[in-house]
Amino acid sequence: MISFQNIHKAFDIPVLTGVDLTVETGEMFALFGPSGTGKSVLLKTTLSLIIPDQGDVEVDGLSVYRGPASNLDLIRRKIGYVFQHAALFDSLNVYENVSMGLPEEELAALNTAELSRRVWDALEIVNLEPREILSKLPSELSGGMKKRVGIARAIVGRPEILLWDEPTTGLDPINTAAVERLIQRLSKDLEVTSLLVTHDVEGGLHICDRVAMLHSGTLRFCGTPQEFKDSPDPVVQAFVHRDAAIAALDMAVV
Amino acid sequence: MANLIVAPIVAWFAKVGRAYHITVEHAGALGILVWESLVAVLTLKVSFRDVLRQMHIMGVQSLPIVFVTASLAGIVTSQQGGYQLISSSPRYVLGTLVVQSVVLELGPLLTAVVLVGRIGARITAELGTMVVSEQIDAFKSLGRDPVAILAAPRIIAGIITMPLLVGFADVIGIYAGMLMADLDGGLGKETFFYGARLFWHSWDLFYGFSKSLVFGFVIPVISVHMGLRTRGGAEGVGLQTTQAVMFMILTILIIDALFPPLMLQ
Repeated sequence: MISFQNIHKAFDIPVLTGVDLTVETGEMFALFGPSGTGKSVLLKTTLSLIIPDQGDVEVDGLSVYRGPASNLDLIRRKIGYVFQHAALFDSLNVYENVSMGLPEEELAALNTAELSRRVWDALEIVNLEPREILSKLPSELSGGMKKRVGIARAIVGRPEILLWDEPTTGLDPINTAAVERLIQRLSKDLEVTSLLVTHDVEGGLHICDRVAMLHSGTLRFCGTPQEFKDSPDPVVQAFVHRDAAIAALDMAVV
Repeated sequence: MANLIVAPIVAWFAKVGRAYHITVEHAGALGILVWESLVAVLTLKVSFRDVLRQMHIMGVQSLPIVFVTASLAGIVTSQQGGYQLISSSPRYVLGTLVVQSVVLELGPLLTAVVLVGRIGARITAELGTMVVSEQIDAFKSLGRDPVAILAAPRIIAGIITMPLLVGFADVIGIYAGMLMADLDGGLGKETFFYGARLFWHSWDLFYGFSKSLVFGFVIPVISVHMGLRTRGGAEGVGLQTTQAVMFMILTILIIDALFPPLMLQ
């Protein structure tokens, strides 16, 4: 379970102003909102990649900001993070990139054959042919392949929670649909809790158990996809029925 | 009327306050970076392979440009010295002038300036790009310490490599100066080295070595610090790299100016 408690964060101007949100164990949860509303900022507070000005995050009862420093190490081992643009390490090949997804102690304990098997399995799970890409550098991969390698790196350590930061951004419709199917399949097959930050409302509503929407730094909505679609809130309606860019413009007027 | 007088004074104090704030912030962040790097070294988190790789990039790959710079420094010093001294001093003084200039000043300083351009800018741009492409966040999310992986190997490599490069630059500069003295003024090798030995102090070598050690520490520390503070996209990387180069050059010149009163009294 992930619990965001009264999260405040400002970068010159306030971005998050008191967000409370709970993602239950085992559920697939989507977080919507127009660009610049702090979705990724909120996600990054989970791993202390961005430190909130106020508030705390708890992961399975472990506090990120109020507990001992060792909590963060434990939490990072539980979580696999899929970055918006994959964030693969430029100087490492695919094999080395995916290997980095394993905790240091585990990486040191595995022999070469076991490590290869883990990397191989992770790549196969994300529908990549390991033989063809293991020795390639990130610069030699397409956008869709980079995303998949990024996902393989996030799941190779067998996390209990997966955080997805705009996983379909920059992909064509075919790759977007493929990645969405992959997210859904992985969350079920690996039995992980998934928190998905996306501006792709259709995709999020289709694959998630619950959804929430951020607006003006606070949580505007939290409920099931059906409740989201049926919400009488004009801001939510604008977001449901129009694309995110138009909704953002409308919300500036509301 | 009062506003016309007060407003510029307030604005001036605001500028001074901002400059003070930025300076303190940089100093604090640099201190933390150095401390974290030291902890990473002491807890054996730094990969020896990474240090060797950085030493290769900083040292071996810098040899050609250091060779050219040191040669030219030796040649120019010899030519200028010959021109200035020809009618007023014994000719062997040219040996003193070239050796002292190269060992005390030109060797360490010019090598440091070359490394700022070749290595410092590269480190800032490389780490800046890693920041804006979220690779640093990826390291953290995977439980890895970016300071141990990226900063500490570069700092260790800088401290080890810089004195070696300066030693190389000193030898090249002195020999280039000696050859020039021979070609330009017919000053023989024996006369040149007689002049060099006449005013030579072993302390001078220690002085040059100490300088190179400090420069070898300062260049990677500042470049890593600036790289890790990059914000924005490609424009941010460019801006940060420019600022880092200015910061490094200025720091090196200030340190260079502080050395004589501290060590040559």
